[in-house]
Amino acid sequence: MTALTMPEGEAPILEVKDLATHFFTRAGVVKAVDGVSFSLNRGEIIGLVGESGSGKTVTGFSLIGLVDPPGRIVGGSVKLEGQELVGLDDAGLRKVRGARIAMVFQDPMMTLNPVLTIGQQMHLALAAHERVSKGAARVRSAEALTRVGIPDAASRLDAYPHQFSGGMRQRVAIAIALLHGTRVIIADEPTTALDVSIQAQILSEMRELAREMGTALVWISHDLSTVSTLASRILVMYAGRIVEEGPTAQVLRAPRHPYTAGLLRSLPAMAEPGTDLAQIPGTTPSLLNLPEGCPFRPRCERASELCAKNPPMTRAGERGYRCHHALEEAVSA
Amino acid sequence: MSSFLLQRILQGIVIMAVMSVIVFAGVYAIGNPMEVLIPPEATQDVRLRTIARFGLDKSLVEQYFLFISNLFQGDLGQSYIYNEPVLRLIGNRLPATLELVLTAVLGATFIGVPLGIYAGYKPESATARIIMAVSILGFSVPTFWVGLILILTFAVSLGWLPSGGRGDTVEVFGIDWSIFTLDGWSHLILPATNLALFKLAIMIRLARAGTREVMLSDAVKFARAAGLSEATILSRHVLKLISIPIVTVFGLELASTLAFAVVTETIFSWPGVGKLIIDSIKNLDRPVMVAYLILTAGLFVTINLCVDIGYAVLDPRLRRGRAE
Ligand SMILES: Nc1ncnc2c1ncn2[C@@H]1O[C@H](COP(=O)(O)OP(=O)(O)OP(=O)(O)O)[C@@H](O)[C@H]1O
Ligand code: SF4
Ligand SMILES: [Mg+2]
Repeated sequence: MTALTMPEGEAPILEVKDLATHFFTRAGVVKAVDGVSFSLNRGEIIGLVGESGSGKTVTGFSLIGLVDPPGRIVGGSVKLEGQELVGLDDAGLRKVRGARIAMVFQDPMMTLNPVLTIGQQMHLALAAHERVSKGAARVRSAEALTRVGIPDAASRLDAYPHQFSGGMRQRVAIAIALLHGTRVIIADEPTTALDVSIQAQILSEMRELAREMGTALVWISHDLSTVSTLASRILVMYAGRIVEEGPTAQVLRAPRHPYTAGLLRSLPAMAEPGTDLAQIPGTTPSLLNLPEGCPFRPRCERASELCAKNPPMTRAGERGYRCHHALEEAVSA
Repeated sequence: MSSFLLQRILQGIVIMAVMSVIVFAGVYAIGNPMEVLIPPEATQDVRLRTIARFGLDKSLVEQYFLFISNLFQGDLGQSYIYNEPVLRLIGNRLPATLELVLTAVLGATFIGVPLGIYAGYKPESATARIIMAVSILGFSVPTFWVGLILILTFAVSLGWLPSGGRGDTVEVFGIDWSIFTLDGWSHLILPATNLALFKLAIMIRLARAGTREVMLSDAVKFARAAGLSEATILSRHVLKLISIPIVTVFGLELASTLAFAVVTETIFSWPGVGKLIIDSIKNLDRPVMVAYLILTAGLFVTINLCVDIGYAVLDPRLRRGRAE
């Protein structure tokens, strides 16, 4: 195996292969995640980008084994530090969740329990993985809150979530995710629900924390520009699949997939001053009974007969894309 | 918190004052007890003397203020029929009703809530379906009929349990209780089950609906993502999140059952206040009616106050007067 020849630090901390999560609804099968592969190195930040409904959140939940029925992981593999998580029993998954891989959700107003104090919730999260006394739990919780930038943390432990602002609540959620020195955090649009100024703050704080603690991040967002300031690599998701991946700078400078190019053109910063933003025409297709072929076809200006067949992932160096008529690699000036 | 409490207590006092007027005037309006009390062949002289003895020659307003001033001295009047202080009369029977109702409502809650949580947690399981079938039964079958069936089955056919009465009692704090004797329990179990069935059904429904909703919430998902066990999530997160409607209904059921356990008490010849009030209405025994109604109103006010305090304890968002 390659693992033998690789130096210890080089083995990816998280390795996802052909992950597929489908929802078996009355109306039919929703292929929310359909063959997603990527790997994440220690301390690395990667961005998972895509429009609403492309399957980002379901991907995140699949990684921690928390897909609600009627959904189910139907195939593929998720390896965390070499341990296979797909097919692991509930007890095994519970030991992993929160301790070695954690997740932060989109809406901080909803993620904390409104009738328990912050301290109680942090104590429960600590006690889920180790024996701690009440006193020790308070000390550790206060440290964790201080680390995410909550002032006067020790006294805030007895406060309830409604006594915090949205940004502060998200910091608490992040502190809970980091309690056990977690190696991998899936951050599912953790700043989308917040004010713009707070967004920027939390973004930079999180990058700083990840660097300090050596935590790897999967940063989920529908906003390419947010991700581009943060992530070293970008995965572009469309209709349950990764349609393009590569180092951030390269993907931004020279997208190979027409969808990525469309996303870039719709960014204000990328547009020619004075011109309208170019939105991608059409909407994300319903993932229910998705027809064969490239799912982007109805919205794609480059589509041809060939696109009635599903394009495979083409890999070239660090780049990868799923398109029959990929855009040319731009000649750098 | 204390200003909230003070406000609620004041509210309760106002409600009690208003209730006392309504009750007094209402009972005064339903008929003249003298027609029941004084034999028709009595002379006019006897008649007038009796009326004066009961203070019924005074105006309604005078009678009311006399009643209130006596009330503050702990005197709720004499029963016309039993010739006993009303307070002693009710005091002798209230413990019987109290222990019956508390057993029924607490039993229904402590059995119904876990069953409901389970049914909400695993709604597709066979056990959940059986639980829901029981709750539908509890809703749809009339109480008196269940009472008769219980007697027929366990008392008449099987002969396991007595069909009525209170059984042996033990004096604790100067009051007779059945719940502290085995024989008392054997008498209590059937009427308590009878009373509990409907409440059990409600508690199952409430807990199930709440659990189903809460299990889908981000808060529960986040707790799972943090690695909490399902048992911890149910006992620490879910139970507290669903408790507000349960506490509300608990209070309502407790109060209304205390006031209206009449049917069950009659079927099982349980010597509680239910029978006393029915008799007093039949005999136009005004002091008993007035005292009973005012005590019942007081009970509702007190239980409601406790429920409100319960809310504030359970849900921090309802506590006012705290700096944000
Ligand atoms: N419980 C479910 N039952 C059926 N379909 C579901 C369920 N949960 C998610 N889906 C489907 O899976 C697809 C992907 O949803 P997902 O929430 O992952 O999108 P997303 O990329 O996170 O979007 P957003 O940016 O809006 O959060 C959607 O089409 C959605 O309809
Ligand atoms: S495969 Fe065809 S339809 Fe799909 S993105 Fe490429 S060109 Fe467009
Ligand atoms: Mg999402």
